[in-house]
Amino acid sequence: MSTVATSAEPPVAHRSARPLLVWLALLAAGLAVGLGAWIYQLAHGLAVTNMRNPMMWGLYITLFMYFVGLSAGGLIVASSGRLFGATRLKPVVRLAVLEATVAVMLAALFLLPDIGRPDRVWHLLRYPHVTSPMVWDLAIVTVYFLISATYVWVYTRADLARRGSPLALGTGTSPADERRDERLKGVLAGVGLPAAILLHSITAWIFGLQIARGFWYSAIMAPLFITSALVSGTGLMILLALVVRRAGRVSFRDELVSYLGGMLAVFIAVEGFLVFSEMLTAAYPGASFESDPVMRLLTGPYSAFFWFEVLVGLAIPFVLLAVRRWRMNVGLVAVASALAVVGIFVHRLNLVLNGLSYATVPYPPGVSIGTAQPAGTDSFALSLFYYPSLVEYLVALGVLCFGALVFTVAARVLPLRETAHSQAASEDR
Amino acid sequence: MSEKVSPIEALPPASREYGQLEPPSAKPRWGMVVDQERCVGCWSCCVICKSENDVPLGMWWNRIETIGDALDTPRIENGRLEMHWMPLACQHCENPICTKVCPVQATYPREDGVVMQDSERCIGCRFCLVACPYGVRVFNWGRPERPTDFDTGMVEPRPVGTMEKCTFCVHRLSDGQVPSCVWSCPAQARIFGDLNDPDSRVSRLIRDRAGQQLLEERGTDPRVFYLPPRRKRGLGT
Repeated sequence: MSTVATSAEPPVAHRSARPLLVWLALLAAGLAVGLGAWIYQLAHGLAVTNMRNPMMWGLYITLFMYFVGLSAGGLIVASSGRLFGATRLKPVVRLAVLEATVAVMLAALFLLPDIGRPDRVWHLLRYPHVTSPMVWDLAIVTVYFLISATYVWVYTRADLARRGSPLALGTGTSPADERRDERLKGVLAGVGLPAAILLHSITAWIFGLQIARGFWYSAIMAPLFITSALVSGTGLMILLALVVRRAGRVSFRDELVSYLGGMLAVFIAVEGFLVFSEMLTAAYPGASFESDPVMRLLTGPYSAFFWFEVLVGLAIPFVLLAVRRWRMNVGLVAVASALAVVGIFVHRLNLVLNGLSYATVPYPPGVSIGTAQPAGTDSFALSLFYYPSLVEYLVALGVLCFGALVFTVAARVLPLRETAHSQAASEDR
Repeated sequence: MSEKVSPIEALPPASREYGQLEPPSAKPRWGMVVDQERCVGCWSCCVICKSENDVPLGMWWNRIETIGDALDTPRIENGRLEMHWMPLACQHCENPICTKVCPVQATYPREDGVVMQDSERCIGCRFCLVACPYGVRVFNWGRPERPTDFDTGMVEPRPVGTMEKCTFCVHRLSDGQVPSCVWSCPAQARIFGDLNDPDSRVSRLIRDRAGQQLLEERGTDPRVFYLPPRRKRGLGT
């Protein structure tokens, strides 16, 4: 990250295509493996996962809400640049909205392997039930995807038209066209920010409205999900910006990384505050429907994950980003972002697994597991320590590779760099 | 496959007479009373439920929880060994949370209050399983396996990837018969009837013996009522 990272305009002309091809081939292989694993799962049912009746959601749902969160970076960066005049973010706005589009698409894709009957997924459109948070979520994920995709197009359209690309959909480069772009960007920013807030809130309510789960049933879920989304979304945004700059597809000064790092520090602080506030409120009674799961998180089978989340995911990146001198160092900001991105994943994992890892009616023999057990084995469980099966890991790998593939190709095809033309157009306004 | 036969129908006519429902009111709300004073934890109701409803291996619509230390093991309370049982199946809540969260209305309350599950519509998202406070829903994680190579009971088997649960044996209710767990209980610990009729046996028992609902504070308002044991039973002095 030496010379390339500090220069605003890295050389791109004589770059070899070979590393890119190797990368694409690896992603395609990962996607093929994932597809194979999914076909295997379709043939044998969800029994090939490690989910069972006492622990009915696992890695897939965790990744679903994690990717919903990762999509936050995009529209927040794009919309706040527009609505609150944070013009410094301009060089990465296109990258941000592309990230949002791909992330929310992946979130939706993670639901497919999770449901038992993907062949009946159309039932969601045929028989939607308005009281189900899952139906609300489906609607907002669709809306958010459409807004993000439109965002990407509006921001890159003029440059595509200048190139004569068919992706410009026949639009031109006249001043009238560019004025319409600016109007559209304003509308999208106005619609995009509330849509982003709704997206994270509704995803939170899938969990936060569960009266049976003391760890989830809390009004803080929606604010907490928005904050987690901001932390992981901004963290991923920083990492992607650095990678894509290295590949020569965008250019910006290091100050931008420090600026985003400063935002990230604030988000991490709010996240830590909300987690603490929630845990204190729940744990204070000492023994209750709400406090038992918190005690389990602090001392039970998932406690190592929780302390990892607090130390590696919140404390260390916050310190790295809060100290001004360190925040000026691009390498340290990248490390802090990576830790925050991993930390929020572990946070999501804790939320799902600890929320489910106990029987709500806690008497032996417990809950029936739901699959035929070998002779002499108990078919009941009071709690279950869940870890994903190989099939779950491979399916997840496949979806991740698909996302990386889409992102890489889009980053190659679309003009992500802010051009002199587009800058001039927005200054005219 | 041969004609399906209910394990109860196969018995002599006297068994039908024994399983007859009390005449219900014009608009019945079906409910059950479980007398923990009488339950001996024998699992008869669980076993007949499996054959009546063709429930695959590893899955139980109905189970017996031990209020004690471990399965069929007493706990020590005030120097005495104590234990009783709590038969547990779908509570057929008046205010069910599972039906509220289902994204496709594959689970829904019937007119008479029975909470149904439509295996043909279910997409297998397991939201209802997460939502249910009682842990009584069971999911077909893999292809259903049965100890026999034929189906048993009077109910269509459910396919892989869908949810299933206790239905109060609706196929028997429509035939004027009590659910098979009620019929089969050797201690007559289960009583079934119309909660809308204030003079039905269930209504009277709930009144006279202060019937309790499980996890009442969750607000689901179950239509299964437990009559707690009247005296502590145990070994010791």
